[in-house]
Amino acid sequence: MAEKLLEIKNLKQHFNVGKSNMVKAVDGITFDIYKGETLGLVGESGCGKSTTGRTIIRLYNATDGQVLFNGENVHGKKSNNQLKAFNRKMQMIFQDPYASLNPRMTVADIIAEGIDIHGLAKSKTERMERVYELLETVGLNKEHANRYPHEFSGGQRQRIGIARALAVEPEFIIADEPISALDVSIQAQVVNLMKKLQREKGLTYLFIAHDLSMVKYISDRIGVMYFGKLVELTTAEELYSNPLHPYTQSLLSAIPLPDPESERTRQRKTYDPAVHQYSADDKVEMREVRPGHFVYCSEKEFAQYQKEYKS
Amino acid sequence: MEKILEVKDLKVSFQTYGGTVQAVRGVSFDLHKGETLAIVGESGSGKSVTSQTLMKLIPMPPGQITGGEILFYGDDIVPKSEKEMENIRGKDISMIFQDPMTSLNPTMKVGNQIMEGLIKHQGLSKADAKKRAIKLLELVGIPMPDKRVNQYPHEFSGGMRQRAMIAIALATNPKLLIADEPTTALDVTIQAQILELMKELQAKMDTSIIFITHDLGVVANVADRVAVMYAGQIVEIGTVDEIFYDPKHPYTWGLLASMPSVDNDTKDELAAIPGTPPDLTNPPIGDAFAARNKYALAIDYEEEPPMFQISETHFAKTWLLHPDAPHVEPPEAVKLRQRQMSSNFDKPIIVKEGI
Repeated sequence: MAEKLLEIKNLKQHFNVGKSNMVKAVDGITFDIYKGETLGLVGESGCGKSTTGRTIIRLYNATDGQVLFNGENVHGKKSNNQLKAFNRKMQMIFQDPYASLNPRMTVADIIAEGIDIHGLAKSKTERMERVYELLETVGLNKEHANRYPHEFSGGQRQRIGIARALAVEPEFIIADEPISALDVSIQAQVVNLMKKLQREKGLTYLFIAHDLSMVKYISDRIGVMYFGKLVELTTAEELYSNPLHPYTQSLLSAIPLPDPESERTRQRKTYDPAVHQYSADDKVEMREVRPGHFVYCSEKEFAQYQKEYKS
Repeated sequence: MEKILEVKDLKVSFQTYGGTVQAVRGVSFDLHKGETLAIVGESGSGKSVTSQTLMKLIPMPPGQITGGEILFYGDDIVPKSEKEMENIRGKDISMIFQDPMTSLNPTMKVGNQIMEGLIKHQGLSKADAKKRAIKLLELVGIPMPDKRVNQYPHEFSGGMRQRAMIAIALATNPKLLIADEPTTALDVTIQAQILELMKELQAKMDTSIIFITHDLGVVANVADRVAVMYAGQIVEIGTVDEIFYDPKHPYTWGLLASMPSVDNDTKDELAAIPGTPPDLTNPPIGDAFAARNKYALAIDYEEEPPMFQISETHFAKTWLLHPDAPHVEPPEAVKLRQRQMSSNFDKPIIVKEGI
C-alpha cells in the first residue's frame, strides 16, 4: 500500500495515574494509517476509541508510546511555531454539531478562525473569499456566512464543522462520530460529502463511530477496540466476511440489518472474555494471521485462527 | 384480532412565537392486541408528538389537540381530564423513554420508582410492592435484584437503567407500551439484549407495543407493522415485509436507499435525500415531500395526494399510485430488495378517508 502518514506505537492513555481509580482508557495500541485512506475505529462506548483520537491529535498528553506523523513525533517537545505548523496538518470534526460551534460567533468567524491564526489570508477580502469558497465546498452558500450557528439544522452545522476543519488545508482529519447525532437521511449527505472531499483533496481520515454499517461503507480498513485494546485490524471487506476475534464476531452479530427475513433468523453471539483462558506466561499481542489481517491473540490462538482460516 | 387502539385523524399543534406549528396533521392508525407497530421518520416528523399525545403528555398550552379521536378500547381519551388520565397513565398505557440517564429520578431508589405504580394503581402494601419490584428486576435480567432494588440510578450502567425503566413500565401489566427510541442511546450489543428482552416479555404478557425509532435495522427486528411518518403525516403504513420488500412511497424509498448495507460491497455514492424537512408552521401546499422528491409530479405541488390502498394492510399516500401517473423506477438499492407481494390488489384503490 501507499506510504505511512501516521504511525501509532504502543500508545497508552491512562487517567488518574497513581490513584486507586486509575483508568486505562487506551492500553498499548499500535497501528499505522496510510496516506489517502480512511481507517475506521469501532467499539462500544467506553472502549477508548474517542480517547485514541483525542490523544493522536494531542488534546491529551499520552501516558506512554509514540505517535509519528510523517515520521515526526507528535508528543515530543515542540516550540510554539512547530506546534502551530503541526496543528495545521491535523484537524478534527466533532460528534455534537450543537456543542462544538461557538454560539456567539458568526459562521464566517468560526470558519476563518484557523485562517486568522495561521495568517493564511493577506487581506479582509481574501479572507472572506476563502470563507465563501469553503461554504460552497461543503454545500452551503455565501448568504450563510453572516448567520449564527443556532440558525442551522444539525446536518448544516456538521457541514460548518467540516468547513472549519478544511480551512487550514489539513492532510489528516480525525472525525469523532461525525454523523451519530444526525438523522438517517442527513447522514448519507454528510458521508457523501466527506468521501467527495477525500477524492478531491487527497485527505486521510480516522473515522470513529459505533454505527458499523456506515463504518464499513466509508472505511478502507477497520480497527475494532475492546477495553482499551485493539483486538482486530483488517480491511473492511475482510472484517465482515472473516471476523476472527470472538469480540468482533459478537459485535457483528448484534447489528440489526434492515431486512426482516434475516432478522427473524438472527443468531446473536455473546462475548465472554473468559474464553481466551490466557495464562500468565502467554504472550498476548497483535499477530498477523493473514497478510494485512491482524488479531490480538496468544501463540496458541494464533495457530487456531490460522487453521480456522484455511478451512 | 382485537383492536385495542384506534387513532382517527389526530391533529396536534403548538403555539410558538414564530406561529402555530402543526406537528401532527391528521394521523390515523390502529393497533391490535399483542402487536408491535413501529413508527419511523426523521426528527421533527411528529412521531414523538404522536406517541406523547396518546398519553396526553404534551404540555398544554402551548400544545393543543386540534382535532381527531384516540379510542383506547373504544373509549375516547382526548376529552379526558388530567385526573382521569392519571388513572390510565402507568396503568393501562406505559412509556419507555429514550434517555435512561435523565428519565429516572436520581434522588429516588430504583426499587421505590418501580413500587410507585404498584402502590398507586394496584393498591399493594409497601412490603408486597417491594417483593414484586424484586421479581420485576429479576424478570428484566438484573443480577442480584434484592440488592439492586435499594440502589440509586447512578449505581446502574446505561443498559441496566434502561432495563429498570422497562421494569417500571411493565410493573402494572399495561395493555399498551409506548417505547420512544428505547435503544438509541445504547451500544449495539446492549441494544440487541434489550430488544430480545422486550420481545420475550411481550410474548409472555401479550402487551401491544408502539415502537418509535429511526433505525431501520431495529424496525426490521421488532416490528409486525410499520408506519412511516413525514411532516406530521403517515405517508406509508403496512406489514414489515410490505414496507421493506415492496415500498411504494418515494420517501420510504429514500430512507431505504440512504442506508449502506453491510451485505453488499458497493462503494457507490449513497442515495441521500436532498434538502431538509419542511417548516411545519407553514406546511407546503400539495405533497409535503415534493420539494425533496425527484419523482415529484406537477400535481404534487398543487394538491395533497390521497391515501391509496395496495393490499388489505398496505397503504401509501402518493400520487404515483394513481392510474394516470407515469410509471417510475425506484432507486437501484430499493429494486434489489423488491419482491412480488401475493396479497396485493390488482390495482391500488383510493381510500377517501384515512385508515
